[in-house]
Amino acid sequence: MTSTAAGRGAEAAPDADAVVLCHDLRKRYGDLEAVAGVSFTVRRGEVFGLLGPNGAGKTTTIEILEGIRDADGGDLAVLGLDPRRQARQIKARIGVQLQTSSLYPYLTVSELIELFGRFFPRHLPLAELLDALDLNEKRDAQTRTLSGGQQQRLSVALALVNDPELVFLDEPTTGLDPAARRALWDVVRDLRRRGRSVLLTTHYMEEAEALCDRLAIMDHGRILDLGTADELVSRRFHERAVHFEHVAALDDARLAAFAGVDRVAHEGDEVLLYTSDVPATIGAVLAATDALGVQPAGLAVRQASLEDVFLDLTGRALRD
Amino acid sequence: MDSLLALTVANLRSFVRDRAALFWTIAFPVIFVVLFGTLFGGGGSADFQVGWVDQDGTPASAQLMDAFAHTGLLTLKVTDQAAGLASARDGTYDAVIVVPKGYATAVGAPRGSASTPADALALVLYVDPSHTANAQAIGQIVVGVTTGVNQVLTGQAPVLTVQTQPIQGEATLSGASYYVPSILAMAIMQLGIFAAIPLVQQREKLILKRLGATPLPRSTLVGSNVLVRLVIAAGQTAIILAIGIAVFKVQVTGSWALMAVFVALGALAFTAVGYVIASFARTEEAANGVTQAVQVPMMFLSGVFFPIALMPDWMQGVARLLPLTYLADALRQTMVGGSPYAPLAACFVILAGWLVVCFGISARFFRWQ
Repeated sequence: MTSTAAGRGAEAAPDADAVVLCHDLRKRYGDLEAVAGVSFTVRRGEVFGLLGPNGAGKTTTIEILEGIRDADGGDLAVLGLDPRRQARQIKARIGVQLQTSSLYPYLTVSELIELFGRFFPRHLPLAELLDALDLNEKRDAQTRTLSGGQQQRLSVALALVNDPELVFLDEPTTGLDPAARRALWDVVRDLRRRGRSVLLTTHYMEEAEALCDRLAIMDHGRILDLGTADELVSRRFHERAVHFEHVAALDDARLAAFAGVDRVAHEGDEVLLYTSDVPATIGAVLAATDALGVQPAGLAVRQASLEDVFLDLTGRALRD
Repeated sequence: MDSLLALTVANLRSFVRDRAALFWTIAFPVIFVVLFGTLFGGGGSADFQVGWVDQDGTPASAQLMDAFAHTGLLTLKVTDQAAGLASARDGTYDAVIVVPKGYATAVGAPRGSASTPADALALVLYVDPSHTANAQAIGQIVVGVTTGVNQVLTGQAPVLTVQTQPIQGEATLSGASYYVPSILAMAIMQLGIFAAIPLVQQREKLILKRLGATPLPRSTLVGSNVLVRLVIAAGQTAIILAIGIAVFKVQVTGSWALMAVFVALGALAFTAVGYVIASFARTEEAANGVTQAVQVPMMFLSGVFFPIALMPDWMQGVARLLPLTYLADALRQTMVGGSPYAPLAACFVILAGWLVVCFGISARFFRWQ
């Protein structure tokens, strides 16, 4: 079953390397098709991201793979096991952080970590987890007294308690301040350094760009595109734009003749030179302005981002 | 086994640290025991201090005083009206009875005329209506005695009798002996039914979902919750019994082992009722409402506060169906040798039946997410 899933997969990933195989996954809630045929593969040792707005089907997808929700259809394998029939074995080897932190309010941080440790055949020492998630100061605090960031770190600590091969993080940094967010990014990077695989969901572009080796852009229960961040951008936006404040002496005809320039556009006071050769175009701009004895004010290069990719794919901004 | 133990310890810790839960399961029943024990702990019969004002001063009025004294329910203190009312106001007397002048003449009148309104003579009973229970009880006694006297006078019934308590078996139990096992039963009922609240809370806060993402089997989860309820029930029993024995001199005459069996069976049956509530209540507020709607009527209809025999027929019909009726009855029988409402075996079968049926319903309808 796993081999057929990979064989028909949307991408040609080597099977032996895959920790998650997901082919044509479907899930319906009443009239709503929450997941409408999603296919992707997570390779061992990579951080894979599902990027999309709320309601895109990210959480449903991830929870089906975690074995806590049933799929309506699709071929699935997690660590080579079937989430429908071998959920217990999968749960022993994966780490799960749910989107909403869910804790016993009256237990302390260390009590809770120790409790979860007892649910698994094998678990990491408490001290190691407290260190890794920077929770030493709060080890004796009841969880109801923790801040949002501390609760989130604790819920990641609980996801790591069994030293899992594969970690599922569902919107791990939603609601965190920038410092707390970066601290969590470090935890994810450390997981990758130690050869663990991570499947995370996010609706933050910069998070997907910073953390994910590869990512899938999801909307309305479908994957719209999949690849590295660079691939996703360059697949749609071949050119970058050199832009600066318009200089009257340089008319469009002259600008269009600059090295590398494919197209000229205007945005307010700015002139945009779409180019396939940024250094050559910048050189031409500098030479021309120098000859005129002026400075190209606000000279910069604009590169398309995942935000532009999302806009291009769906016709709307990711965050609105 | 290891995870069952760990989870049970975690649940017990949560319980002990949650002051509200602790109050309702431990302090609340203790308050009831102390309250009812103090109010009714003095024995089966109440003893009211009543001022006796005899303005007639005849052998007939003295006879009437004897009739009242004979009931054994009132301690009569002869006084005059002014002093008697003063003592009633300062709380020394619970009531004052005034026999007006002309009593002997009235009762000596020819038969038949005493019952005509024009010649009827009224005893005056002063009570404090703010002490509702006392006022009602004394009123009952006075009506009972005067009815008897009237019957003698009118020749319709030869004997003057006052029914002290129209209850058969329970009348032999002292107040505290009745209330301690009853309130223990009530506490176990609440403990079990209130199991619905943390369950719904844990489901709403997605704690159950998070636990579902670990290899922990659901049977361990349920097992731990049940174990927690049994441990707390044991604690409740120990505390309530200790207070009953130490403060109210309740004597445990029955079987400790049988009592333990019924405490455990009761905790299990009512926890199953709690699971049924958690199966259908989606939010914590709903669960709170439903538990109250179930436990408050049950508390009053199961003979915890009033013996079932005192209830009107339709209420007795309801009481016959409620599990608390049988738990309270079984605990009274096993702890203090109370006379049975139902045989112990029947109590056992009915409680076990509730357990099985409720377990089946929640196994079918309980939602983890």
